[in-house]
Amino acid sequence: MKLTRRNFLAWAGLSAVGAVACEGFGIREGEFSLQSPNMLPEDLVRGQDNWYATLCRTCPCAEGIVVRVMDGRAKKVQGNPIYPVNHGKQSARCEAGLQAVYHPDRIAGPMRRSGARGSGHFTPVPWKDAPGTTGLGTLRQQLQDNGGDMLMVTEPLRGHLALVADRFASAVGGQRLGFETLDNNTYLAAVSNVFGQEKMPDFDLANTNFLLNFGADFLSTWLSPTRWGQAYGEFRQGKGRQRGTFYHVDSRFSMTGANADRWVPITPGWEGHLALSLAYVIMSEGLAHSSADIGTLTGGQGPSALERFRPGAVAQRIGLTEEFAGGSPEEFIRVLARNFANSRPSLAIGGGSAGATSNGLFNLEAIYALNYLVGSVGETGGIKFNPSIPFEDVPSTAQVATLDDWARAAEDIKSGKTRLLLLHNADPVLGLPDSLDMRRTLEDADNLFIVSFSPFLDETSIMADLILPDRVYLEDWGNDVPEPGPGYQVVGYQQPVVNPLHDLDPLSFPDVLLTMAQELGKESELPWPTFQSLLREGSDSLFELNRGSIQAATAGEFWNELLRRGGWWDDGITGPTPAAPDGLFASIAAKSSEPNFIGPDPASDTFYLVPFSHNTLLDGRNGHLPWMQATPDPVTSITWQTWVEINDHKARELGLREGDSVRITSYADSIRALVYPTPAVPPGIVAIPLGQGRRNGSSYASDRAGTESSNVVDILEPMKVADTGSLAWAGTRVRISSTGASMRVSKMEGMVTPVEIGTTEGERIIQTVPAEG
Amino acid sequence: MPFGLTGKVLAISAVGFGVTVIVGFVVVVLLISWFSNPPFGLGNAPPQPVAFPHTIHAGAPSEGGMGIQCEFCHRNVTKGAAATVPAVEQCVFCHKIALGRTEFEKAEILKVTQAFAEGMPIDWERVHRVPDHVRFVHEAHIRFFTEPANGQTRTLINGEKTDQPLSVSQTCSVCHGEVASMTVVKPKQGQSLKMGTCLDCHRQNNAPTDCTVCHK
Repeated sequence: MKLTRRNFLAWAGLSAVGAVACEGFGIREGEFSLQSPNMLPEDLVRGQDNWYATLCRTCPCAEGIVVRVMDGRAKKVQGNPIYPVNHGKQSARCEAGLQAVYHPDRIAGPMRRSGARGSGHFTPVPWKDAPGTTGLGTLRQQLQDNGGDMLMVTEPLRGHLALVADRFASAVGGQRLGFETLDNNTYLAAVSNVFGQEKMPDFDLANTNFLLNFGADFLSTWLSPTRWGQAYGEFRQGKGRQRGTFYHVDSRFSMTGANADRWVPITPGWEGHLALSLAYVIMSEGLAHSSADIGTLTGGQGPSALERFRPGAVAQRIGLTEEFAGGSPEEFIRVLARNFANSRPSLAIGGGSAGATSNGLFNLEAIYALNYLVGSVGETGGIKFNPSIPFEDVPSTAQVATLDDWARAAEDIKSGKTRLLLLHNADPVLGLPDSLDMRRTLEDADNLFIVSFSPFLDETSIMADLILPDRVYLEDWGNDVPEPGPGYQVVGYQQPVVNPLHDLDPLSFPDVLLTMAQELGKESELPWPTFQSLLREGSDSLFELNRGSIQAATAGEFWNELLRRGGWWDDGITGPTPAAPDGLFASIAAKSSEPNFIGPDPASDTFYLVPFSHNTLLDGRNGHLPWMQATPDPVTSITWQTWVEINDHKARELGLREGDSVRITSYADSIRALVYPTPAVPPGIVAIPLGQGRRNGSSYASDRAGTESSNVVDILEPMKVADTGSLAWAGTRVRISSTGASMRVSKMEGMVTPVEIGTTEGERIIQTVPAEG
Repeated sequence: MPFGLTGKVLAISAVGFGVTVIVGFVVVVLLISWFSNPPFGLGNAPPQPVAFPHTIHAGAPSEGGMGIQCEFCHRNVTKGAAATVPAVEQCVFCHKIALGRTEFEKAEILKVTQAFAEGMPIDWERVHRVPDHVRFVHEAHIRFFTEPANGQTRTLINGEKTDQPLSVSQTCSVCHGEVASMTVVKPKQGQSLKMGTCLDCHRQNNAPTDCTVCHK
């Protein structure tokens, strides 16, 4: 073919079309590339998060927290980095508190009882502005008719909520009682008698050299565990300091005891005798600090004031054995006293079961008085006292009723004197011993009208005639004066970080009280339209002080900054340093007594009962939160169940094995629990956690098949602490017998098959090399 | 007359030449399409950035594998259209501990851990692919074979019948072959993934065969 111009153009055109077509049918670059992302898509969270500062309410210490909120939903709780109580740390309880917001068993709105009392049958009613029965209308009518015969029972309250509750109760002619199963009245009385202070002190653990602790589980549940846990870390492993020494005197091996250098098991109720024995050695051997005037402290008697507490007289009685002491128990006490006195700064603290026997006040006074002998009162590494708060008329110490008060309250209900009962975050049916028979008292009180403000059903609110659900704390306003404070003025502020979910219709408890006050014509006592406005008024008064952690030009700016930081504090205003009362040791020695117990006499199957606050459930208030239930006990690793810690040798003697269901019987009642044998319990003692045993309300707290769930408070005898009237909750003796049943203990300990580690390169934990030879 | 040809003969020749060129062009295009795309290709395995042996990961424990189910790594296979390859982070879940036994394994695993440490993705080469005009949803096919049969008999592509639900991994093998026994995954080791294969299976299981069910 001749290559003509025409042919050339034809071929060129065909080639171009062919090239384009081939490319079109061919494979594009990257068509077969398949890229795996670096991170899992599930880890990528879209949206913007905000962190709001507020207060945690899952335990009484009210730690400062920051809550991560995305798209109007609270996602995560962490410690507020600048809040003086916990400095950015938080307990497991704080984190688990998030579940209260989304809990499926929250009460959606007001309800009126529609069945027999305690049957759990309720009918929803509107809050207000509707024909017929309404929640607020019924409450107002009851307050008008029976306000003068009203009893309001709340959790221990501090800050402006305490102010509102007290003024409301007073305005309508009734009274308010604070409720807590394991109250701190004896501890507060001891602080008052020994130091002349009405507020709980702080402990400078971080700078202590020698810590002697009697019974206080301060790393787990006692008062302010997160704060002291941080300080404890400094005490043991702080940079630039020698590791501190820690002796723990307790009849139970608690989480705190497990952290001690030496656990000193002691017969319950004899802590005071050991403390005075130590004081005797310090005085008689001239080991006291130069600031301690022995003559003044003993009323001029000198060491002889404590002669009857000399180690030889005390060692055997308090349960110290030669086997434990590694020699003479007397010598053990002397060496302990010398170490305590010579390792300054030294600190002696006490609480928990040490103050919960009939002689609990004597025990705690004797323990805290030791601090005068070693010069630790008000000093670095010792006890620090808290100043008064910057508000007038606002309660800064929670008032909690004693066993005597509850006995009187029960009588008033039975006699018909109390006709209206308001309940807020208090569950006395669960938390009072069966001897007071609060359940039947409420069931039989036909003329009593019960109003519960609880957002969840519990043992007491199930009895209510009217339920007006409160907001949970992440949805509500509030403030708090931490107790114990950090040694200077602090006021924490709580703000709502989320709104309630759309299908819930709760109302804030203080707002309901303020609304009722206005409708009943009590504006003079309670003039605030909302609780938020009262808190703002408090903020304005702090602004006017013109000092502390927030500097602001206007009151509005101060309020915003107050909420942003989660509180206000002034570390320049510290507490006093008290002087020792004359004759302190002599007066303590004069009131010494042996502990009394109610229950079966000592025998092979009888024991001292030492109840203890559960690490997360505490006294049961957190029982409805599944994360709290599933958090393993730090010593036994048990979850969801009630167990009884018993000495392993003793268990073998009684033919009991782990998981055996036993009946624990006092004179008052009996409960069941699963056996957990452990060498870390003295032979004559059994220990049982509080927190379980709820029969009503959330299914997470009750009705669990295949578990043992009992309330140890049921079997406590109505023993009282002398001079305070508080429940001596460690004053009961019990008998243990097998039920014949057995089930698996839900624990993590020992469940994981042990495997050899360090056998692959990825496990380079310990490198071993063969010995040369 | 140039070349001694009449005008008529010249015209016929030109038309014949043109037809030959066009037919030849179409044949060439079809041949390229047929052999170059893996679904229809020659069955060669594309080179991968990391030598990933399915035998060790998904192989039966009795044969030295770990028996990991397909959906553990191909996380989207039961949820959406694409099976997806796992994120590097997921590889590192295990490979922060499992660092390899031989020098070769260590070097290959190091590529993965390094990519994760540097925040870089891994660019794999796709082995199985259907053309752009085909819509294929893994989730629907997995669901069909893994749901309880309720007395109905299902027919696999190879003609085998079953009245029991399959596991996810078994379902994967219906089309992709026994990937767990493949050190290197190649195309066409299970089914060809041609339209005829799809239609056969749909007909045997009374699944719809309308064009628009599969074609965009």
